[in-house]
Amino acid sequence: MRVSLEPSYVLHARPFQESSLLIEALSRSHGRVGLVARGARGVRSRWKGVLQPFRPLLLSWSQKGELGTLTAADQVASPPPLAGESLFCGLYANELTTRFLQRSDPHPGLFERYRQLVAELAVGDPAQPALRIYELQLLQAAGFGLQLEHEFGTSDPVREDAWYRYVPESGPKLRKYEEDRAGELISGAALLGLKSGQIEDRHLKELKALMRRLIRFYLGDKPLKSQSLFH
Amino acid sequence: MSSEPLLEQLIDSLRCLPGVGPKSAQRMALHLLERDRDGGKTLSAVLAESMERIGRCRECRNLTEDETCSICANEQRDRDQLCIVESPSDVIAIEHATGFRGRYFVLMGRLSPLDGIGPEELGLEQLAEQLGQRPPQEMIIATNPTVEGEATAFYLQRMAQKHGISVSRIAHGVPLGGELEFTDQSTIAHAFSSRLAI
Ligand SMILES: [Zn+2]
Repeated sequence: MRVSLEPSYVLHARPFQESSLLIEALSRSHGRVGLVARGARGVRSRWKGVLQPFRPLLLSWSQKGELGTLTAADQVASPPPLAGESLFCGLYANELTTRFLQRSDPHPGLFERYRQLVAELAVGDPAQPALRIYELQLLQAAGFGLQLEHEFGTSDPVREDAWYRYVPESGPKLRKYEEDRAGELISGAALLGLKSGQIEDRHLKELKALMRRLIRFYLGDKPLKSQSLFH
Repeated sequence: MSSEPLLEQLIDSLRCLPGVGPKSAQRMALHLLERDRDGGKTLSAVLAESMERIGRCRECRNLTEDETCSICANEQRDRDQLCIVESPSDVIAIEHATGFRGRYFVLMGRLSPLDGIGPEELGLEQLAEQLGQRPPQEMIIATNPTVEGEATAFYLQRMAQKHGISVSRIAHGVPLGGELEFTDQSTIAHAFSSRLAI
């Protein structure tokens, strides 16, 4: 298979064999792909400085087995590089993407979300809403779609003015007992906001806690390394 | 050669060296055995001893056979300037190219979550302790201009600010003797955005 000029982002690059790099990339039509960039670690490599995360690239490669061989990498535009806290958020998104997505499982919608996220991070916006929406779509792409509109068990629609306890793999359950710990509660308004993609600032904190809890649930006992950056 | 297990093992072992594939490993092994047995014996003795005795400096984490390396042990070196680098080869490069008289801290890597490298793996707790006990006046961050190097620089910057230490970052840009026309886009962009008033 030959792929040419495919919109992609490098998620990660690691040394491979003597002078090459093994690139994990997120591409629009082929999902996450593993590509060998031959000779990319050489001093005179034409890819010197190009195969870096958070840059919109057009990648071309040929593929027979699980790994493809990179044949060209064109830089589309030079957006401002991510800096400071945004850079940490970007590394977090890349680790999350690599952990949840299998190779060669295309998700064009997710790619668009990723592109928007990186664009927001690059201008230094508070990208928290974009991060939450990206996390939601990534979970969906990995087969862990979240139920946000209907109550678990009764299938009643989630109400803006009610409080819920979110049960992983099941969904929101209406708060019944006073002893439900406040930290695990989430408002119906926040759930519906996440669903619609219109997240209000006042819901950011509870949504962050919710997503963090769910991501930990699905990742199991191997936590995300990038979380150690946020201290 | 499959009937010569030791020779095969030697060739195989040489391949742990960077840039050495099966062909060069075979050439190296045959060279030592055919033409330079003494050199080979010295190499194996020094190699074995180095692997045993060379550890990390307890102050800066650089490679040393003593508890503290020669730079940290040198009282002439200025405690007010601390330069943070990714690897021992960066220390060598700076020592050769500059008249820097301060001290170093060697991370032995850079922050890279996807490689499982976080602050802990880079000895940053140890660094924080040092900054608290004996703060230098200036922290010079000399990590590489890659995404991971920049993330590391930002993390270090915040650490320094917590301790009221001023921070500088080494400049990156167009190589001396180079021409803009032949410099890649990202280097030009970086050099342009970090331009200096003259
Ligand atoms: Zn030392």
